Amino acid sequence: MSSFSPLHHRGGEVVRNYLIKSVLQIIPVLLLISLIVFILVRVTGDPVALMLPETASDEDRMVLTRALGLDQPIYVQYIKFMGDLLQGDFGTSYRYNLPALPIILERLPASFELAIASMIIATLISVPLGILSAVKRNSYLDIFITGASALGKAIPHFWLGIMLILLFAVRMKIAPVSGRGTFEHLILPALTLGVGIAAETTRLIRSSMLDILGQDYIRTARSKGLIETLVVCKHAFRNSLIPVVTIMALQSSALIGGALISETIFAWPGMGLLIVQAVNGRDMAIVQASIFVVAFIVILGNLIADILYRLLDPRIKYK
Amino acid sequence: MQHKLLEVTNLQTHFKTEDGVVPSVNGVSFSVSRGETLAIVGESGCGKSVTSLSIMRLVASPGEVVGGEILFEGQDLLKLGKKEMRKLRGNKISMIFQEPMSSLNPVFTIENQLGEVFRIHERLDKKQARQKSIAMLERVGIPNPERVVGYFPHQLSGGMRQRVMIAMALACNPALLIADEPTTALDVTIQAQILELMKSLNKAYQTGVILITHDLGVVAEMADRVVVMYAGEVVEDASVFDLFANPQHPYTTGLMKSLPKMDEQLEELDSITGSVPNPLEMPKGCAFHPRCPKATVECTQIKPQLEEYRANHLVRCLHT
Repeated sequence: MSSFSPLHHRGGEVVRNYLIKSVLQIIPVLLLISLIVFILVRVTGDPVALMLPETASDEDRMVLTRALGLDQPIYVQYIKFMGDLLQGDFGTSYRYNLPALPIILERLPASFELAIASMIIATLISVPLGILSAVKRNSYLDIFITGASALGKAIPHFWLGIMLILLFAVRMKIAPVSGRGTFEHLILPALTLGVGIAAETTRLIRSSMLDILGQDYIRTARSKGLIETLVVCKHAFRNSLIPVVTIMALQSSALIGGALISETIFAWPGMGLLIVQAVNGRDMAIVQASIFVVAFIVILGNLIADILYRLLDPRIKYK
Repeated sequence: MQHKLLEVTNLQTHFKTEDGVVPSVNGVSFSVSRGETLAIVGESGCGKSVTSLSIMRLVASPGEVVGGEILFEGQDLLKLGKKEMRKLRGNKISMIFQEPMSSLNPVFTIENQLGEVFRIHERLDKKQARQKSIAMLERVGIPNPERVVGYFPHQLSGGMRQRVMIAMALACNPALLIADEPTTALDVTIQAQILELMKSLNKAYQTGVILITHDLGVVAEMADRVVVMYAGEVVEDASVFDLFANPQHPYTTGLMKSLPKMDEQLEELDSITGSVPNPLEMPKGCAFHPRCPKATVECTQIKPQLEEYRANHLVRCLHT
């Protein structure tokens, strides 16, 4: 596929301008998120009440409220909040008594690892099944695959995770129950997440392939005397990927902060688990910072999806 | 008698739908000699395109060739294995489609798509395939072929894309070229250029051509012989001169009358009343009788056969 190089023949400058523009567009989005985060965290409860024991005196409460700057008018709090944000200061975690951002960044590798592993599993399952199902449409195989993917989509993560633990960790003892460390630790949580994504992606690939297989250029490819494998895997699959890749890129960025249930079940020390704990413990700094980081990753995922989309489809112009 | 390049005998292609079997092509026979251009004319839905796809064996499900014989250089295409058929497609028999805008794959370059033909049929490597692709583009009159070969389809106009399709179809010097309404989607000046190009290539390489069209102007320009189809059947088969000078079937006459003439002032063009019958409810007797100005009681009862009206001129009508 070396002859495919839309970035090449359009000139680097156009692409660079496009990238700069896209990155600049992130700024207003982040500003809006900062406002939403700020408000949400402040309307959901009093951190002082949570941090101090129930026996604490009113005076103690006053002191802490002042120390946290919570006695200031709300707009002053926001300005201070933004000022700190710009310096990379997301506040100090009440629970860990450490700056919030480093705690979150420390969790990122685990989250990335899980997201990438589940996307690999999802791809390995959904690409062949989706193609097969489309090529053999309305056959028993197609009905089976379509049914299986409906089931895969319907099974809740927490149930699947627990069942996998019971089967592979408790009964067969071929994988650890929870935690992170070795490759074995990764398998069950990645499988739990991957199956759900695969179910959705299989259906997506199937319908995209069905659409593409009816296109005129597929008939042209056949009329050239190509073997069916090449017609399907080159001419059809490449086109059917255009919508699929976009959605997969979005899904995987959402996974990084969104694998709450799986991370909780498997005690996987990722962002999801951290967020759950921070919300439960009303650890405002961590909640704020992690929402920010997740939002940033999702925006980045969007950008990557957009770039992939352009790479796959030479008809899309950079503006 | 000259050995025929292609002989189609009693071809039957049916579509099995939920409402019943649709006989899109119902016992069609015709032949094409080397270097000859045969035009197949008729309204939309008369089975022209299905006939051509049947020859390529590319009829899509639920369609299926259920009977007949397609002899290509004496070999029955319907009896060939998939692999042997693939070796012929794009090599000895190739096809140009109606829609140049959608017939090229949008995500691959011209080099990739045109070179593919050389890579699979002539086992050329990438570099050789590129050289031959450039030469092919030049042959079909594309300016700057070295540049264009690296383009994606969307960077070319409709006429240029159809030239690329023709280059692709002619890449391996096919003995038979099937062109399914190759100029319908193009504007008139480009149409003329494309037809001119096909004609010159047909003369230069003695390629047999099946030209599917509903444009009688194109027929007069290009064809040696004409087959007129109606409702999945051949209703008239004659040389182009004979057909235009002496149309016998009322349907053919109707088609001719619906053409504007240079030397007549007309308020309104003639048209054939009614429309093509629903293939699931074919009229009894002659399929054309509900629309035919000459229809008699006989026509509603007896199905006419394709009979020799005179040498090299066949007609399916009770009244000739």
